Amino acid sequence: MMARFTVFGFETTHDALAAERALLEAAVPVVAVPTPKTLGALCGIAIRAPLADAERVERALVAAGIRWTRRVEIEDRAPHGLSR
Amino acid sequence: MAHDGIIYLDHAATSWPKPPEVLDAMARALGPAGGNPHRSAHRLALEAARLVLEARSTVAAFLGVRDPRDLLFVPGCTFGLNMVLKGLLAPGDRVVVSSVEHNAVARPLAALAASGVEVVQMPVDEAGRVDLDAAEELVAEAPTRAVVCQHASNVTGAIQPVADLADIAHEHGAVLVADGAQAAGHLKVDLAELGADAYVASGHKGLLGPQGIGVVYLSPGLEVRELVQGGSGGDSGALSMPVVRPDRYEAGTPPVPAIAGLAAGVAVLGREADELFEQEQRIARRLLEGLAAIPGMRVLGPVLGEERAPVVSVVHEEVEPDRLAYELDSRYGVAVRAGLHCAPAAHAAMGTAETGAVRFSVGRGVTEADVDAAVEAVREVCLA
Repeated sequence: MMARFTVFGFETTHDALAAERALLEAAVPVVAVPTPKTLGALCGIAIRAPLADAERVERALVAAGIRWTRRVEIEDRAPHGLSR
Repeated sequence: MAHDGIIYLDHAATSWPKPPEVLDAMARALGPAGGNPHRSAHRLALEAARLVLEARSTVAAFLGVRDPRDLLFVPGCTFGLNMVLKGLLAPGDRVVVSSVEHNAVARPLAALAASGVEVVQMPVDEAGRVDLDAAEELVAEAPTRAVVCQHASNVTGAIQPVADLADIAHEHGAVLVADGAQAAGHLKVDLAELGADAYVASGHKGLLGPQGIGVVYLSPGLEVRELVQGGSGGDSGALSMPVVRPDRYEAGTPPVPAIAGLAAGVAVLGREADELFEQEQRIARRLLEGLAAIPGMRVLGPVLGEERAPVVSVVHEEVEPDRLAYELDSRYGVAVRAGLHCAPAAHAAMGTAETGAVRFSVGRGVTEADVDAAVEAVREVCLA
């Protein structure tokens, strides 16, 4: 079954992994994924969340002081679980 | 205490033995976290990247760095100092530096001087500490790009007035670059308070990590030219390095096992530092007292009661340093370092450029009994 996701891109892997850490601590179900081409030339790791959680992700990142560069929506059949 | 029959008093060269946590962390970085961080996004690579993220946060917090992205991993303190000095200074710039620097500072500055950087030296007092009045005069004399100074001497143990030098530098529009090789992990270093614009430290000395890793702190407002260009894991289509930290300054695959070991060492320090620093100071005082009481012995640097890093260098009027160090190792299992300690300028200031000295340096694991045994061994060799 296809599902819709939001994927956040970052300037540096440090920020991507810091985002993953902050979001998991905030109990937002995210996974670290290879950066989709549609996000352009960013760092190699992006953060994916169910589309329904997009606003929660943005709020949690703002609260943690982590800046994302771009955000895209994708449709994917891949299962979505926690990163760890 | 003695380990493997060795009384190890060469912590200023490298800490030993490493805490078991360091070895365990390095093994994990070679096993379940053994991928290449910041490139792929499979589980091994992500574990490596998470490890580097946590390590950077751990070391940054210990050194008082507010934003971990300002804390850069480099192959060592010497590399870091080269990166900062050569990335900061250009022909026509003026730099004011202490006259007692280690070759990790003195040699890059000599190379820069050959390319047209003006290098001016600050005098020191009889204990090897920078004369602040003279420093201010020199910095005020002409437009200066940087003031450069060690935080603590690897020869005399003298602790330099880095915060005051930072104030002087900033007052005159310069930046302060500090070499923290002998301070980090032996003295409290709070970079949020110290005022240094760039601070470079070794990972394998006081910070208890393995060799092959060092750290550079660059204040948020200071950018230097990166020394090395290459892959950074992001923005791969561009021919220039990314401008963001830490990527700009960490081209190539990072040494994850060394980073993991460093973070594990720093985590140990995070738990023990208050007690450990006090213990090192107490043991260094005992060592200094014992050595100073041996007839014919001269102790370099600050006198008893004055602050110092846990380093004590001595010269005996009859026994040459190399012979003393050899006898201590071969007959008593005491590990120390003889010679000029890669710091001929410091020895010149102490009047020991011709002879060198024997350096005893204290760190984690050294006990009162160790220094008592070492002092007794020195006494036997010198009075034989």
